[in-house]
Amino acid sequence: MTRRVAVTGCGVVTPAGCELEAFWGSLMRGECMLKPLRTFSFRDFESLVGGEVTLPAEDELPADLDADRSRARCLELALAAAKRAVTQAALPSDGAFRERTGVVMGTTLGEERQVGDLSDRTAIDRAAGREEESIDAGFFARSDNHRLAAVTAARYGLGGPVVLSAAACSSGNAAIATAYDLIQMGAADCMIAGAADTLVRSIYCGFFRMGALSKSVCRPYDKNRDGVSFGEGAGVLVLEDFEVAKKRGARILAEVAGFGLSNDAHHVTAPDPTGRGFTRAIQQALATTSTPLDAVDYVSAHGTGTLYSDLCEVRALYAVFGDRAKTLPMSSIKSMIGHTNGAASAIEAVACVLAMSHQAVPPTVNLIEQDPECVIDCVPGKGRDAKVGTCLNLSAGFGGFNACVVLRGAP
Amino acid sequence: MTSPGAPVSVTGVGVLTPIGDAPDAIFAALCEGRRAIASSSEHGGVGLASIADFEATKYTNVRGLRMYNRTTRLAICATRLALTDAKIDTATFPGDDLGVLMASTYGHLDVLLEYDRSLVANGVQRTNGALMPFAIPSAPGAMVALAFGAKAFSMTLSDGGSSSLDAIALGARWITEGRARACVVVSAFSASADVVRAISRAGLLASTGEVRPFDRRGTGAGLGEAAVAFVLERAEDAMARGAIARGTLRGYAATFATKAENQASALQRASVAALRSADVAADGVALVSASASGAHEVDRAEAEALVAALGAHASRVPVAAVKGALGETFDTAGALQALVALSAFETKKAPPIAGLEEPEVSGLRYATNEASVESGAALVTSIARNGSCSALVLSPAAAPGGDPS
Repeated sequence: MTRRVAVTGCGVVTPAGCELEAFWGSLMRGECMLKPLRTFSFRDFESLVGGEVTLPAEDELPADLDADRSRARCLELALAAAKRAVTQAALPSDGAFRERTGVVMGTTLGEERQVGDLSDRTAIDRAAGREEESIDAGFFARSDNHRLAAVTAARYGLGGPVVLSAAACSSGNAAIATAYDLIQMGAADCMIAGAADTLVRSIYCGFFRMGALSKSVCRPYDKNRDGVSFGEGAGVLVLEDFEVAKKRGARILAEVAGFGLSNDAHHVTAPDPTGRGFTRAIQQALATTSTPLDAVDYVSAHGTGTLYSDLCEVRALYAVFGDRAKTLPMSSIKSMIGHTNGAASAIEAVACVLAMSHQAVPPTVNLIEQDPECVIDCVPGKGRDAKVGTCLNLSAGFGGFNACVVLRGAP
Repeated sequence: MTSPGAPVSVTGVGVLTPIGDAPDAIFAALCEGRRAIASSSEHGGVGLASIADFEATKYTNVRGLRMYNRTTRLAICATRLALTDAKIDTATFPGDDLGVLMASTYGHLDVLLEYDRSLVANGVQRTNGALMPFAIPSAPGAMVALAFGAKAFSMTLSDGGSSSLDAIALGARWITEGRARACVVVSAFSASADVVRAISRAGLLASTGEVRPFDRRGTGAGLGEAAVAFVLERAEDAMARGAIARGTLRGYAATFATKAENQASALQRASVAALRSADVAADGVALVSASASGAHEVDRAEAEALVAALGAHASRVPVAAVKGALGETFDTAGALQALVALSAFETKKAPPIAGLEEPEVSGLRYATNEASVESGAALVTSIARNGSCSALVLSPAAAPGGDPS
C-alpha cells in the first residue's frame, strides 16, 4: 500500500536568508548574494567569491558539540535548518511520535572542515616535530558525516531510522527520496529530511584546477557562462505520513509525490552530454507518480552555470517535454545563492514548496545573453506570479548521480 | 517473468576478507575457529586483520582501477565476484536495470586527507587536482557504478556499522518498486594508517589486541579489512540466468539511541519490528548474527536487546558474532553478518564466537564450537557507534516452485 507523504515543515539557512519569507523575498527580487567571502579563504587565492550564511547568535553551535564552531560549520548549518523545520511542523513532543520519527541528512562534503582543521594542525605539528599528535581522540567522531543526522536526532529525542545519504550534489534529493521510502516501508511515520554543506578549500581548489570555477559569478544558461560559484547552506523538510499528519492537525504545506533516480555511469566528473541519464530520472519520476507532462508547472533546475551540465539538463528537458520545454518555467536559484553542493536540492525543494504556496516562480539571475542552445524560460531577472501546482526538483552530481523529486501543492 | 510483489533475494555474493575470498571457505574457516586478528606492532599493539597481498587486478581489470584508493578497489573486486556469482554479464545485462548502493562512511577519508594535506603543504598548483573527485564520501560507490555501467541508480549510505543493513533494505525496496532489476549492495572498509590511528585514538580498540565479543572482560574491538557485495533481485530473474538464490530478505527495521543505556531498548524495538514486518515469530528465528565486537557496553546492550526481543526463545537460538574473528569492519560488518546467516542456511552450522569465554549477559545461546542451526529465519542485528540500530530478517531461499523452508 502506498502511503501519501506530506510536507509539514520547512527550514533553510542560506545566503539569501535564514527564515522562509526572507529567503523567498530575496529570491523573488532576484538578489544575487554571491560576494567576496568574509569568513573563508585559502592562501592561494587573493579573493574568493561565494554565498555565505549569516546565522543568528542563537543558532551558534554549542561548545559541547564542538569547541571550534568554524570546523563544525556543516553541523551548525544542518542543526539550524532542522530547528526551523521542526518548529514549523510543530512536531509533537510525545515519546511515541518521536520514536517513530527519524532523520535522513545528505551531504557532498560533510564534515570536511574537520579534515581541513587536522591538516592545518598537522602542518604546525610537523614543523614542531609532533605529527603523531595531530589526530586527537575526538577526530574520528567529528569527521563522521553521520553525525549531521545523529546529532539532529539526538537533539529532538528521535528514535526512528537515522541515515546519512551521500550522492554528491544530488544528496539533498537523495535524502528526500530515502526518507520518503523509509515512510513507505513502514520504518517510520515521520522523517526529518534535508542536507547541508559548507565552503571548503578542496572544492574551490578542485574546481579551479578543472577550470570550472567561475571567475566572477555563475551565469546559468548564459552564452558566456564560465563555471560554478559556491555557496553554503542547509535545507530541511519534515515529511510525514499524510494520515498521521492530518490526524494530529498538522498544517500540510505540500506533498512529496515520489521521485526518479538514474546514474550516468559515464565519467568521474562530467555528465553524460546527451542528457540521457537526466532524462531517465525525470521520466521515472513522472511515471511513478502518474504525473502527466502538462501537469508540471515549474522545474527547479540543477543549473550550475557550467557549460556541459546546463546543456545536458536542457537536452533532458526537451527529451521529456518536447516543445513545451521552451515555455515551461525552469530556473536556477544557484545563480543567487551559489551552488551549495549536497544541500542544493534540499534548499531547492523548500523553494518549490514556497513556489506552490505563493503561486510564483523564482528567477535565474546574472543572465546577460541567453545561450542559443539553452532555449528555455529560465525566468530571467526577477520572479513572477504563476500557477504552480506541481514542481519537479532536479539535481545531478559528480559520479553521474541524477535525481528528480516531484512535489505537489497542499490539497 | 517477474511476479509483482515477489520477495527480493540475494543471488550473488562477493567477499574479500583476511582469511580468503571464497564464501564457503571463509565460513568453514570461521567454523573451525580461525581468527584473523593479530596484534599490530605498527599500531601500538591493537588488534588488526589486514587483507595481505591484495591485488585488485587478480579479480578484474576495469578501467581506472589503478587510480582508485584501496576501499574503492576492494569494493570493485567484491562487486565483480558477486556479479559473476549471480551470472550477470554486464556486457549484456542492461545498465538501466542495474543499480548500486554503497555502504561507506570512511572510504574516502584517506584520499581527502592526502589531498587536503597536499593543498596545505604544496598549494593548489602543486597538488594533484585529479584527487578531488575521489575525496568525497560518495566517490567509492560512484566508481563501482562507473566500473560496471550501473545506470539505474547509485547512492551511498554512511551509517557506520549499520550502513550495509540499511543499504540492503533500501536496495530491496528499490527492486520491489521496479527502479532496477538487480541491485549491487556493496560495502568495503580498508585500514589505512590514518584511519587506524583515528580509531585507535578514539579509544575504540582493545589495547592488547584481545578481542572478546559479549565477554565481561571486553575492552574494545579489533579492526578488520573486508569487502562484501550482494546482488539483490527477484529469485526468478536469477533462475532464468541459471543463478541461484541464497536467501530471501523478509523484514527490516531501524531505530536510534545515542547512549549505551538506551541502545538495548532501541535495538529491541528494531528487532521486534523487523520480525513483525517479516511475519516471523520469535520462535521462527533459527540464528542471530550479531554485531558484538568486544566493545563492552555496546555488546551488553545488544545482548540485552536480543534477550528481550526473543523472549523465551532467546536461550535456544544460536547467536553468532564474527567480529571476534574478523574484527570491526564498520560499514561492511552488517553484510558480513548477513553472509554468515546465508552460509548457515546452507550448512546448518553457526561459527563459534572467537574470544568469548565469560559471557556478561546470560539468557542467550552464544555459539561455541560448531553450533547447529535449525530451519528458520535469521535475525541480523547492528548497533553502530553513532547510535543507529538496525535489524534485518533473512530466510532461506525458496526451493524452485516451493515455499521457503
